[in-house]
Amino acid sequence: MAVRHLEVEVRREPGGAVLDLRGEINGFAEEALDTAYAEAERDNPETILLNFEEVDYINSTGIALIVGLLARARAAKRRLVAYGLSDHYVEIFNITRLSDFVSVFPDEESALSGAA
Amino acid sequence: MREQSPRAKQRHEEPQLGREPRDATHWARYVKTLEGTAGPNVEGRRVVGPLQGFGKMWQKTYKVRLEGASASPAEVVEAWRTRFPELSGFGEKGFRVPAGGLVPGAVALLGGLSGVMVLYSDEESFTYMTPEGHPFSGWITFSAHTDEDATTVAQAHLLIRANDPLYELMMPLGLHRLEDRTWQRTLKNVAAHFGATSEVETRIVCVDPKRQWRRYKNIRHNALILSALHVITTPLRWINRRHQASGIRHQQRPET
Repeated sequence: MAVRHLEVEVRREPGGAVLDLRGEINGFAEEALDTAYAEAERDNPETILLNFEEVDYINSTGIALIVGLLARARAAKRRLVAYGLSDHYVEIFNITRLSDFVSVFPDEESALSGAA
Repeated sequence: MREQSPRAKQRHEEPQLGREPRDATHWARYVKTLEGTAGPNVEGRRVVGPLQGFGKMWQKTYKVRLEGASASPAEVVEAWRTRFPELSGFGEKGFRVPAGGLVPGAVALLGGLSGVMVLYSDEESFTYMTPEGHPFSGWITFSAHTDEDATTVAQAHLLIRANDPLYELMMPLGLHRLEDRTWQRTLKNVAAHFGATSEVETRIVCVDPKRQWRRYKNIRHNALILSALHVITTPLRWINRRHQASGIRHQQRPET
């Protein structure tokens, strides 16, 4: 199966900066994630939202990259919020215990109101 | 606010009936605690990631280019997974692989001290996650990929914190160095297995320099302390067992 490299777009919303993630989160996603996260941090938002609606696949290296983002967010006293995860990836967030630290919402509306 | 994408809408409107994500079999299933492992300091423990530990968070990457070897990344990972005790230098007793092999959810015991759970496993990588009480709280991923010049590269990537204040204290006193030597040796062994003799590259980054002080209570699971207490109290348990046995014999003696 062809690999869909990760593409990330950054949007500003009143509740925080949103990273629209598209493709696969694996070892190849590091640069795209880092660049987009740095761009999202530029306006010093209180919350950064990760939109997983268009994410097909996350492997353990991808989860480690998300932990890296979480560490950066916590160091800057920012909240990191996730939404649009399929049931499968919600379970992965539970197994890896990422869900202890990242609030998970079903959609953008609830994530933005939860982040407010 | 942006509208939901058509794909996300479809996901919410049509529950994913019978559609398994393609990585579903690669991940371990959720378990609250590790059960049925018969391992001291493992049985009944929760698994912990790099977020649940006490000390600074470290990202350590060890890489070796398999110059001149023709093995594909999948072949390297397959050999690494199946010969892990030998290639890591832990040996069969130091790293006890469970009967079903290193499949997602399997728990391997590290000597009599602790263990690791296989969190993820696919063709080109596998990841271990540690339980409470292990020196580190975190993940270690072993993987292989092809570099730009088509050389296969084997890599070990750790994302860890010391699990409690005692282990954190031990980090600069040799625990860091021990960890580095273990994985540098492992990568050298992997390279040698495929006939390569390249040097191991090491990259260490402190991802989060803050200690999580509220996690100081993790020390109650510390495998070193619990194992030491177990050894120290062995004579007491032996005396207790003798007392109980003599009590039973006394009760069973027929009245004369």
